[in-house]
Amino acid sequence: MVRTVRIGLAQIEPGQGDVEGNAERILRHVKRARREKVDLLLTPELALIGYGCGDIFLDKVEENEEALQRITEKVRGFYAVIGHVEEDEEGSLYNAAALVRDGKVLGRYRKANLANYRLFDEWRYFKPGNVCPVFETGFGKIGITICEDLWHPEPARAMAFRGALLIACISASPYDWGKEGLWDAFLRERVHDNLVFMAFANQAGCQDGATYWGGSKILSPRGEILAEARLVGEDFVAADLDLGEVARVRRRDLRLRDVRRPILEELLRAYEEREDAGPQR
Amino acid sequence: MLDLSDSQLELAREIIENSIRSRIRKAGAEGGVVAMSGGLDSSLVAKLASEALGKRLLALLMPEDGVTRPEDTVHARAWAEELGIEYRLVEIGEALRPLEAAFKGMKKGDKGRRLVAWGNVKPKVRMVLNYMVANLESRIVIGTSNKTEMLLGYTTKYGDGGVDIQPIGDLYKTQVRQLARYLGLPRPILEKAPSAGLWPGQKSEEELGGTFEELDSILYLIVERGYSTREAALELGKDLAFVRRIYERVRVNEHKRKTPTITRLTAMCLDKDWRYPVERE
Repeated sequence: MVRTVRIGLAQIEPGQGDVEGNAERILRHVKRARREKVDLLLTPELALIGYGCGDIFLDKVEENEEALQRITEKVRGFYAVIGHVEEDEEGSLYNAAALVRDGKVLGRYRKANLANYRLFDEWRYFKPGNVCPVFETGFGKIGITICEDLWHPEPARAMAFRGALLIACISASPYDWGKEGLWDAFLRERVHDNLVFMAFANQAGCQDGATYWGGSKILSPRGEILAEARLVGEDFVAADLDLGEVARVRRRDLRLRDVRRPILEELLRAYEEREDAGPQR
Repeated sequence: MLDLSDSQLELAREIIENSIRSRIRKAGAEGGVVAMSGGLDSSLVAKLASEALGKRLLALLMPEDGVTRPEDTVHARAWAEELGIEYRLVEIGEALRPLEAAFKGMKKGDKGRRLVAWGNVKPKVRMVLNYMVANLESRIVIGTSNKTEMLLGYTTKYGDGGVDIQPIGDLYKTQVRQLARYLGLPRPILEKAPSAGLWPGQKSEEELGGTFEELDSILYLIVERGYSTREAALELGKDLAFVRRIYERVRVNEHKRKTPTITRLTAMCLDKDWRYPVERE
């Protein structure tokens, strides 16, 4: 069965801590998505507040939540994923993505694998999420991951087990040599591990000397590139996906069906046994 | 890899130019100012900044009569004219004379120390002139230091290190040469022996005790690839004592790469606890 769905990637350059300005930037892409008859629009990681904004994360939580609600009101007739900071009742912050439509936040995903090395400092601000849900949409189940999550096989695998046909990865990846090749490899690994569509929306622009390199793209379950945005600068790309491809590929490639429980249990045992477990445990 | 492909060099050009434009826009500045010596680093930065800023770039040529090689000024002037950028020539001898009188009154230090101490005054005078113009004309001061000299501390604190941005500060000297060649810098500039130009006949490679190819290959393995000094010496077939001497320079010059250390008394010490971005919309 052909199930066509149109995915749009908004490769925007958010201002650091400029929540008002970022909401405007996102809303411009919401308008464009509507014009281009997109079914699902992705924005980059923490697009509402700007990834590299340091302690501003702590200062603008409420403002960022209000802006999310405002944007949600304007997303009518299609879905959008908005990167933002979520605060729980205890005051813990999460690097989060909201799935919104028709004035409602339908669900949120909290980044599970926080980046905390080299220039990354996410544990300073955020608590990791511990669940890998999928979200029901009018065109099927989707999973949402955030940047570093995709460098680990587990979140996408869990989402594939839960029936995701498409896994989105919203990201704010700063450039260093070879980064585009590394990301291409990770995206392909998750595609071929899980036999799903992958849609990667990366941030653009330079903030304090770090260049968020863009290169947003959509891959089919066969690893074909269906859309690809430019490097470095802002861009918007969209592609029509035939979600029926997932079933067609999985009929002949049975690896996801054949993942073995004893081996998953073995993996968990091995994880518990190791002595070099990091703090993310 | 130290050797960059053409596509990497093209990407470096785009990232660097974008970073210069980004800073000027976010600072609300009218333009940039760069000190041009006629050497490789500043000629490359002038090229990149002129592409990024066009007529909004000003170059200052600040030779010292009797010390600066006359051909350096000829090269700087010809290159500025070829780039079509505005430039001003300020001979710094006059600004140095009253300082020289004060320096002569200070009797301490052996000959070598006196040479260095006085030599370091000159980049500081150039820094003063850079900022004078920057303040008068709402410009950002664009630095010309490369990664090799920043690692080795082969810079003058608050002299050539006294700038707002360092666009080529993540490129090793040999990579600076590659990018300069790729962007078509004139042959005399590409081929001249590197010099800090602090006193007559000064040559960077003689002073540092190795060619930039040697220094970069050592620094690259240690800094980018995580080799120990012993492993780097073995890999490159270099004398361990030489490699250690190079790395010792990296270690003792950390202070040149940081803002001044603040003695901490509050829980919000400005160089330790407080983390806000410089660039904000």
